[in-house]
Amino acid sequence: MKRWGVVFLFIVLSVSLVLAQGDFPVKVVLRMMVAGDQNMVDFFQYEIAPEFEKVYPNVKVEVVGTGPGPAGSRQIIQQLEIERDSNKDKWDIDVAVVHEIGAVWALQEGLIRPYTDFLSAKRLVVRNTDKVALGMNVDGYVMPMFHSQTAIAYNPRYVKNPPKSYTELVEWVKKHPKKFGYNGIKHGASGISFVTGWVYWKSKYTEKLLNGPYDKKYEEDWPQIFAELKEFNKYVTMTSGNAGTLDMLNRGEIWMGPVWVDMFYTWVREGRMDPNTRIFIPAPGMPGQPMYYVIPLKAKNPDYALKLIEFVSSPKIQAKYIVERFNWYPAIGDDYVTPFLKKEVLESLYKDVKQEDLLKYGKPFPLTGYYEDILEAYERWVEK
Amino acid sequence: MEEKIKSPIGFFLILPALSVLGLLYVFPLARAIWSSFYDKEGNFTFENYLKVFELYTEDIIYSVLMTLATVGVVLIVSIIISSYLRFKDWKFLDYMYRLPLFIPFLIVGHAMRIFLAPHGTLNSLLTRVLCVEELPGISGSWIGLLFTFSWVMTPFATMIILGAFRAVDPAYVEAAQNLGASKFRIIFDVLIPLSRPSIIVAMILTFVRTISSLTIPLMVGPNEPNMITIDMMFRVNYFNDWGVANGLGVVSYLIVVGFAIYYLRYMVAERGGGIKR
Repeated sequence: MKRWGVVFLFIVLSVSLVLAQGDFPVKVVLRMMVAGDQNMVDFFQYEIAPEFEKVYPNVKVEVVGTGPGPAGSRQIIQQLEIERDSNKDKWDIDVAVVHEIGAVWALQEGLIRPYTDFLSAKRLVVRNTDKVALGMNVDGYVMPMFHSQTAIAYNPRYVKNPPKSYTELVEWVKKHPKKFGYNGIKHGASGISFVTGWVYWKSKYTEKLLNGPYDKKYEEDWPQIFAELKEFNKYVTMTSGNAGTLDMLNRGEIWMGPVWVDMFYTWVREGRMDPNTRIFIPAPGMPGQPMYYVIPLKAKNPDYALKLIEFVSSPKIQAKYIVERFNWYPAIGDDYVTPFLKKEVLESLYKDVKQEDLLKYGKPFPLTGYYEDILEAYERWVEK
Repeated sequence: MEEKIKSPIGFFLILPALSVLGLLYVFPLARAIWSSFYDKEGNFTFENYLKVFELYTEDIIYSVLMTLATVGVVLIVSIIISSYLRFKDWKFLDYMYRLPLFIPFLIVGHAMRIFLAPHGTLNSLLTRVLCVEELPGISGSWIGLLFTFSWVMTPFATMIILGAFRAVDPAYVEAAQNLGASKFRIIFDVLIPLSRPSIIVAMILTFVRTISSLTIPLMVGPNEPNMITIDMMFRVNYFNDWGVANGLGVVSYLIVVGFAIYYLRYMVAERGGGIKR
């Protein structure tokens, strides 16, 4: 009889073990689409996905890149529109990384869901990029991935006292013709950023450009602004792109020029750039931009999407990857990140541009309408 | 009898190629032309073309001039190389002139950008040899762009022209030599006239390849004016404005078609009884 009891117990145990499998987390494939350069795709594919899969072994992260610039974001939006129009209950994309303009488009089309109330990292955000994008209220729908910023790099061998503002920069450029270089508007966004900063500096309606509403009447002083920029350009060397500006700086062909801070530090770390080069953000400021995480309205695995965003936004991961590996400024307050940073990283990234500079001079890009008008105004009044 | 059986089979044989052409070339072309007449809301408009001519007239003229200049330089250089190789069998040159064919545009663009920069490889060498402080760089200007285009396009044209030169019956060349013509005269009075169709083909192919190139002008060319291709990219990437981009595409297509028609008519006249000349 006793033997039967043991067998019975054994059967019960093994059956319950089998049944318990049901409570084990099911296999999940987390699909994400990422707009941006290849380094963004690599970031998720080779750095974040393996780390995340270690924490959640049942999850497999699949990353698809859609290419740089607003065109990349546009492709993600088109994909979501297709999903919406197919009337499916569950959409294939669980989480997407888009530009500011992408977030605006997605929200206008009702393609994304609010989620940041459930995100503890949201409380660590100090800049208001999680609330406003291109003048639109996006609060609740987006979490920044990082902040990238443009600044002016200079070679201290030739420039002892760098100008501190656009006003001083213009004086400097007139004294040192052809020693300031930027790349116009068609050869990379660091030039666009410089031009936008120029408009912010000159315009009477900078507030409207940043926060709306969009109205052509706020562009009335532009012909004058761009005429002055055209005059300024006579003293300037035109470079062939974001990389072109860095190259020319490095070879001493120009002494100053606008650059993306992350690109600049990456080049320095890779030994492609003279490490003595310094940067500053001129008053009243130059634009930078965040990239945003969004969760599609009917994502298949919104819980894991949230977990992923939480994971990437944690101070430790932000320090290790966003700041140290990729030289971006963190999405959350810099103070939360600094305890996790190595001393040399801390000293290089925040040596020239401090957090208070970022808060003061790190401007967002203007409303889409103004943004497009600035580009076209440059084509119309400066290039011709 | 044979003719009748052959023709349907022939048709079926080219059908795959034809459908690929229709699907990947004719259909997108028609769509591009179509959408160049519509704005973002989908209304019929000429606005796109007005914008093309308001903002990009200079760029269009610049693109055509740039391309013609390239064709001119390529023509001269490739005829010089072909003539030399027609008379002298110099193996080294024969291999070397083909080299640029095997280097991707992107690599060429990057290499030339560094080579031709104000403090680039070329100038670093020259300033040391000539003992001068500073020399202006030609990357980022139309001269640098012309140089790069010529470097990239010459081998292809040379291959065609050299082939034609070598195909000329040696009897003509020898006859001219017997009558005391110099090599120079043989080139101009015998080789070039007899190879004219091939030379024109080479020039038209160079023209089309140059005007449709994006990477090289983007990397080596001046900041402004821009080639049409850069403007098209700019319109799509920053404005999501396919209307104007397609308008620009149609304009560059028309430019190319102009040359194609000239070429076809010339070829027909040439073959149809040799009335010309």
